[in-house]
Amino acid sequence: MSKIITNNLSLWYGGFQALKKINLAFQEKRITSIIGPSGCGKSTLLRVFNRMNDLIDGVRIEGEVLIDSADILDGDFSDLVKLRKKVGMVFQRPNPFPLSVYENIIFGLKVHHLVEKSEREQIVRESLESVMLWNDLKDKLHRNALGLSLEQKQRLCIARAIAVEPDILLMDEPCSALDPQATLKIEGLMQRLKNDYTIVIVTHNMQQAARASDDAGFMLLGELIEFDRTVEMFTAPKDKRTEDYITGRYG
Amino acid sequence: MKLRLLKEFIIEKLIFLSGIASILFVILIFTFLLKEGISFFKEIGLKDFIGGKYWYPISEPERFGILPLILGSLLVTLGAIIIAVPLSIACAFYISEVVQGKAKDILKSGIEMLAAIPSVVLGFIGIVTLVPWMKKVLNLPTGLTALSGSIMLGLMAMPTIISISEDAINAVPKAYKEGALALGATRWQAMYRVVIYAALPGIIAASMLGIGRVIGETMAVMMLSGNAAVIPSTLLEPVRTLTATIAAEMGEAVHGGLHYYSLFAIGIILFVITFMINVIADIFLHRNKK
Ligand SMILES: Nc1ncnc2c1ncn2[C@@H]1O[C@H](COP(=O)(O)OP(=O)(O)OP(=O)(O)O)[C@@H](O)[C@H]1O
Ligand SMILES: [Mg+2]
Repeated sequence: MSKIITNNLSLWYGGFQALKKINLAFQEKRITSIIGPSGCGKSTLLRVFNRMNDLIDGVRIEGEVLIDSADILDGDFSDLVKLRKKVGMVFQRPNPFPLSVYENIIFGLKVHHLVEKSEREQIVRESLESVMLWNDLKDKLHRNALGLSLEQKQRLCIARAIAVEPDILLMDEPCSALDPQATLKIEGLMQRLKNDYTIVIVTHNMQQAARASDDAGFMLLGELIEFDRTVEMFTAPKDKRTEDYITGRYG
Repeated sequence: MKLRLLKEFIIEKLIFLSGIASILFVILIFTFLLKEGISFFKEIGLKDFIGGKYWYPISEPERFGILPLILGSLLVTLGAIIIAVPLSIACAFYISEVVQGKAKDILKSGIEMLAAIPSVVLGFIGIVTLVPWMKKVLNLPTGLTALSGSIMLGLMAMPTIISISEDAINAVPKAYKEGALALGATRWQAMYRVVIYAALPGIIAASMLGIGRVIGETMAVMMLSGNAAVIPSTLLEPVRTLTATIAAEMGEAVHGGLHYYSLFAIGIILFVITFMINVIADIFLHRNKK
């Protein structure tokens, strides 16, 4: 089933068109990667899905974005809070809050008034377990999260995002600040998470897209050039430009 | 060519001299203060001075206990902190998060200009507006109370606190706010649940600096807080502060007498207090930079 569908999605930053009539459909409980050269609009596209572009002045969006068949572009503010509960995001640079590990994880719970105080500990534990941090951090729950290693921070950010039980996880180059080993571990984690979540990952790293995703989209200058099963795209790309890019001949 | 070298030389030396001079002056002032004050401590022990409950410098026998003055200063300052810090933080958030563009610049420089109003003027405005109003509204025997002093001091501390806190809030990485919003927080929740913690060292430093500024403040407090050297029990009584005591009594103290030296001793106590506050503020500011 399609979890996210866009119909003729276009986005302008002031006079500059960053997304051009994008049509795609992301499938439920799969990992979809979005690849393309720097500046092609990957992050912009991702940030449409949780409407983070709303923060930027002068942004104009046209078209439709359906999540679970509801158009998220014509919702009012209270829907925005609900939308962001449903659609979690992990950023390129790990950005844990300058609070304790525990407070980081229950942040979303507090914001959405999700559970009773007594249940919080349980959720903290489950969230940390699902990102395989529990054993490392169970005795350090009340230490400041800024003291963790980069990889731990990024795991914590993922744990923080899934603590509110979203449906969709958006990841914008989640491994680009990490070393190769940590990258592989996060990818392993994504494979486990896809049983429960629909994951969209933006990456610069072609191997990562090939390794970790089920479907892949290739973007160029704001356009979606090709969208297919990852295996298909990487073995038999239909568009010449995709082929050039994935074989490293682009730019 | 030679002339230019000479000019450079002279300018360089002048700058050097004025730098040295300013340090020298501070040292001189401090040694003078110490010299005049120390002889007093020899006469009356430090313990009796700080712990003494009665300040009767010209009665017979004279008593030199500054506890009421210290408590007066403390009470007025504490009141000022309670009034100024929360308001200033709210104001700083308002300026950094709500106001946009040109209005922001105007507001910011306007607030910084407030810091330049001389305290006598503020004291005077307080006497003709705040004091009668307090007397009437709270139904007090006099409007010259610790609270009046606190309110005016709070107003005086606010520009410093607002301006530096706003810088601290602005310096918070955007990633924190984005992270909070992406989790479904409203702008307001992002601010008070996350951004404020990231800006906290700066905000604390700002508050300390603002308070350091007002704790040494004299004119406005002397004019507004009633000047009764008794240990206060509420904010609604007249109090007397350390600074106001020096200012009010220096003129009438017999030069070279014990009373005269006691005022210098108060000066030393004040110096130590403000110095400590500044050092603490500095520590927080530097921690913030890292
Ligand atoms: N806030 C903004 N205002 C104006 N233009 C922007 C803004 N953000 C992005 N752009 C422009 O939109 C285009 C797409 O940016 P985007 O960040 O989505 O690219 P990207 O594919 O994620 O690139 P990268 O791989 O470098 O992260 C770029 O040309 C960029 O300069
Ligand atoms: Mg990007």
